[in-house]
Amino acid sequence: MSQMLSPDMTIAAEAVAKAKIEVKNLNFYYGQSKALKDITLSLPERSVTAFIGPSGCGKSTLLRVFNRIYELYPKQTAEGQVLLDGQNVLDRSQDLNLLRTKIGMVFQKPTPFPMSIYENIAFGVRLYEKISKAEMDGRVEQALKRAALWTEVKDKLNASGLSLSGGQQQRLCIARTVAVKPEVILLDEPASALDPLSTAKIEELIDELQADYTIVIVTHNMQQAARVSKQTAFMYLGELVEFDKTEKIFTSPREKRTQDYITGRFG
Amino acid sequence: MSAVQEALPAVRGSRDATVRRFALTDSIFHGMTRAAAILVLVLLGGVAISLVAGSWQALSTFGFSFLTSESWNPVTEKFGALAPIYGTIITSAIAILIAVPLGIGIAIFLTELCPRPLRRPIGMAVELLAGIPSIIYGIWGLFVLAPFLQTTVQPFIISVFHGIPGLNGLFAGPPYGIGLLTSAMILAIMILPFITSITKDVFDTVPSVLKESAYGIGCTTWEVTRRVVIPYTRIGIMGGVMLALGRALGETMAVTFVIGNAHRISTSLFAPATTISATIANEFTEAVGDLYTSSLVALGLILFVITFLILAIARYMLMRIDARTGA
Repeated sequence: MSQMLSPDMTIAAEAVAKAKIEVKNLNFYYGQSKALKDITLSLPERSVTAFIGPSGCGKSTLLRVFNRIYELYPKQTAEGQVLLDGQNVLDRSQDLNLLRTKIGMVFQKPTPFPMSIYENIAFGVRLYEKISKAEMDGRVEQALKRAALWTEVKDKLNASGLSLSGGQQQRLCIARTVAVKPEVILLDEPASALDPLSTAKIEELIDELQADYTIVIVTHNMQQAARVSKQTAFMYLGELVEFDKTEKIFTSPREKRTQDYITGRFG
Repeated sequence: MSAVQEALPAVRGSRDATVRRFALTDSIFHGMTRAAAILVLVLLGGVAISLVAGSWQALSTFGFSFLTSESWNPVTEKFGALAPIYGTIITSAIAILIAVPLGIGIAIFLTELCPRPLRRPIGMAVELLAGIPSIIYGIWGLFVLAPFLQTTVQPFIISVFHGIPGLNGLFAGPPYGIGLLTSAMILAIMILPFITSITKDVFDTVPSVLKESAYGIGCTTWEVTRRVVIPYTRIGIMGGVMLALGRALGETMAVTFVIGNAHRISTSLFAPATTISATIANEFTEAVGDLYTSSLVALGLILFVITFLILAIARYMLMRIDARTGA
């Protein structure tokens, strides 16, 4: 399957920019069961890539391999290569904390930390940088502006992060991720728990962020994938079925299974 | 068709009977469970009333000075509760100081760091500590821990802090082995399982996605625990600590063995002292006069009030964390 696909993937990659993340022959196991089957693809730098597919197809699993968050749980193993700027992140010698500062992640449900709005952002920055109060104020403001949240919270930075609405909390999580200055941002169905208005704000935000970051988004919502991404990967039962430019996937997919899924015949 | 119509009233009739029977048994069941619940309140009230009634003589004789007087003299029949109150609070407070960091440490290890196959054995071993009868802690404290402290730890500490103002008063006097500190250590071991298992349970209420997002910005396990897990569960931990404190305040047998049973207030932690429950256990059989007995009951009333307040606070705190995780 992957051999068959490789010509197209090269095209997709060349057309945009140099590859930020390259996945080579990746297999993933939950205990005995194989969740990802020989995945090979390459994600271009400073652009949005969407993973779509029915539940259980492995799209979130693939995302969770990139920052090795899966290692928090026993019996989950990955084999193969995931190259970030040519460095294999699956290497034993890879420092996990450092990796996760480079690859930020935003989850399906908003997860503000149990602290103030200001601290939610300052916390992550402070872990790796020693900066003055004034600089930190600037960083917090900048991050909140990037996440289009500043005007809504600037008068209550000391309020608990939990006091915000769901959509605001999710933008706070994005701000928190951006503040650490990662290179890649992973979004695991970031809008699936939000109302349409908040979803639109998040999508707008993703569109702006791709100027500076490599973004990978997992989504159930095909319209969302079509709206925000440059490339789309369609996954099914742990396999990468098709990976191409988004407009190609949604207008003239090469594979019948892709066609069936995007037209709603299954999934 | 007509056969069905004829059958219908009969069916309806037997259903009505069944419904009536259900209503009857249901109301009996309802009444019985309510009676059981009310019984608890009645018992609680009964205990409180009999304590107040029993202690009335002592409280009316000594008035407020019962709480502030240190003297405890069965011969002259002058009784004051200050020494046992002091001993009770000091031993429990030190026990909490020792057991809380240990218990939280164990809980962190078990939930975040421990290799999975070891989790259950270690967790169970800690919980089994709660199953050891307190008399055994008492015997062990008197015959093993106290002599050990007397011959090694206490002389060492006394010599180290000798001459340091403040601390030399805290660790002074001959090393008896038994005393406030020894009791506190026994209590610490006894309440450790409570703190550990409640802390472990509330740690498990932290959503894994919250921990993932903390790890996701590059936190170490320590940072995740310190800045996310503990703040998130702070109220629950406090509740666990309060429950443990309630247990420590009321513990009788083990403390009676190692406290030394001396009615005096001493600044030294190595000095023999007494607690409310140890005093009652020791002296009830030899309390001859009515006033003596009444004074012991008054001590019981004081302990009842203290533990009641502590447990009420603990319940309230646990309720608050439940409300939050439910939301």
